[in-house]
Amino acid sequence: MTAQEIKAEIKAGEQPSAFSPALAARRRAQARADRVAVFYPLASGVLGLAIWEAVVRILKMPPYLLPAPTHVLAETWLYLPMLLKQLGITAFAAGVGFAIALVGGVVAGAAITASRFVDRTLYPWLVIWHAIPKAVVAPLFIVWIGFGMTSEIIFVIVFTVFPIVVNTVTGLKSADPDLLLLVRSMGAERFQMLWKIRIPNALPSIFAGIKISATLAPVGAVIGEFVAANQGLGHLLIQAIGGLETPLAFAAVFVMAVFGIAIWYLTEAIERWTIPWHASQRGSVLGL
Amino acid sequence: MTTVLLQDVRKVYGGTQADVDALGPISFGIAKGETVSVVGPSGCGKSTLLRVIAGLDSATAGTVTVAGQLVSSPIGDVGIVFQRDLLLDWRSVIDNVLLPAELRRMDLSAARTRAMQLLAELGVADFALRYPWELSGGMRQRVAIARALLCKPSMLFLDEPFSALDALTRDQMNVILQQVQIHEGVTTLLITHSIQEAVFLADRVIVMSGRPGRTLDEIVVPFARPRRLSLREAPEFAAIAGRIRIHFERTGILVG
Ligand SMILES: Nc1ncnc2c1ncn2[C@@H]1O[C@H](COP(=O)(O)OP(=O)(O)OP(=O)(O)O)[C@@H](O)[C@H]1O
Ligand SMILES: [Mg+2]
Repeated sequence: MTAQEIKAEIKAGEQPSAFSPALAARRRAQARADRVAVFYPLASGVLGLAIWEAVVRILKMPPYLLPAPTHVLAETWLYLPMLLKQLGITAFAAGVGFAIALVGGVVAGAAITASRFVDRTLYPWLVIWHAIPKAVVAPLFIVWIGFGMTSEIIFVIVFTVFPIVVNTVTGLKSADPDLLLLVRSMGAERFQMLWKIRIPNALPSIFAGIKISATLAPVGAVIGEFVAANQGLGHLLIQAIGGLETPLAFAAVFVMAVFGIAIWYLTEAIERWTIPWHASQRGSVLGL
Repeated sequence: MTTVLLQDVRKVYGGTQADVDALGPISFGIAKGETVSVVGPSGCGKSTLLRVIAGLDSATAGTVTVAGQLVSSPIGDVGIVFQRDLLLDWRSVIDNVLLPAELRRMDLSAARTRAMQLLAELGVADFALRYPWELSGGMRQRVAIARALLCKPSMLFLDEPFSALDALTRDQMNVILQQVQIHEGVTTLLITHSIQEAVFLADRVIVMSGRPGRTLDEIVVPFARPRRLSLREAPEFAAIAGRIRIHFERTGILVG
């Protein structure tokens, strides 16, 4: 029997009308909630910018101290090609670093879960590493690896790997013991247990780690560029501040922020697409 | 013919402070095609008993044989249903039911036909392509039963399968379970807290003592099948239920 046949069989016996009034009411309520969800953040953002603009104009602040939002916008527009090129460099370092951190973090998490020995020996190091303020040790990377992209990428990796490892471990360890017993009685092998049960079960948790790390990655890249690069948005930022070109610095920050927001929504979209079955995603799947 | 045989089975869990005497010594058998209900106070080792028979946990002492084989690893020929349905959220209902066939690398298209038959028999065929979270508790537990029966096991073990359901749904599930049981001819071990449920579904009820659980009483339930829910009002039924209740009152589980 194919999925199509099953689908047809179900269609024949379906009575969707029985539930539709309640469903329609739920949809309306959700639409209202969505409008509220868009309206309040937007209104608060616009109000904040308006106050900022007003303060700068009324107090006649010099641009090198605090440029007005409109000024920042104009500056962004003026230098847009250059800003985008620098962003591309930063994004590349962030992307490559994050990808390596993701793969390495998941593998390390799996190893920690699978082997008590790895757990006992690797975990303390991770915790120690996490406790160290990494921005402070960033300059050491120049000493160790030298100036440039490699240094920057490695800095991104160490900056972002921890949340992925921890969330992978949490996710893999969170499988219901009764469920594991049940599939064991169904004759599941170790590999099947991992692939069919533990990993899907861990995905929501891994995604929580991915969201944190993906947004940390550009921050890590910028910090890396502060000290170990002669290009990228981080380098531009340092240069602009040094030259009292504050509006340009703000423009760089603005571009960074937009990029960060885009990354956030991108990871959310991937999450929704990958784990539509998870409780946090269900509303959107059912359209309720 | 006896297919499950326990002889002086004990289970002791090694704890951090002291060992926990969880079960036994307990001895009993289950005949082929028979349904045995096990009732007993909470924590007396009923779930432990089920795990030991299924080979998911080893006995500290004594022997368990299933179909003449000494049990030392998970036995394949059994379907298990726990109190929580343990359906996988990321799989549709039909794919949940197919899980055991998939894990055993069986022919999936034949298994799919069988799965649809089981879902139809359990009254949830319309939901085959839905996801578990779209189903009510009773429906989810029906899916769990279908999954347990997919590979045509000769035994079905249920550990308080309907405890989380409301009384009405529970009655309904008892009738449905009886129906598939007759149809499938499975040897059944049912652990339950409900005396009514235990008697209604069983050929024999084993009453266990408090921890470590031993056999307090074994009562044969002679009524022919299929049984109707109204049987529960019959004086003969009430007499058996009463005999079990007395054990519970004596051990102080029930005060009445
Ligand atoms: N994995 C374990 N490790 C240590 N002790 C355990 C373990 N599993 C069960 N026990 C102990 O064994 C005893 C029996 O537990 P079991 O779960 O078999 O009881 P039960 O009769 O199923 O109880 P309930 O009716 O509440 O489900 C309990 O005292 C429990 O604390
Ligand atoms: Mg139990």
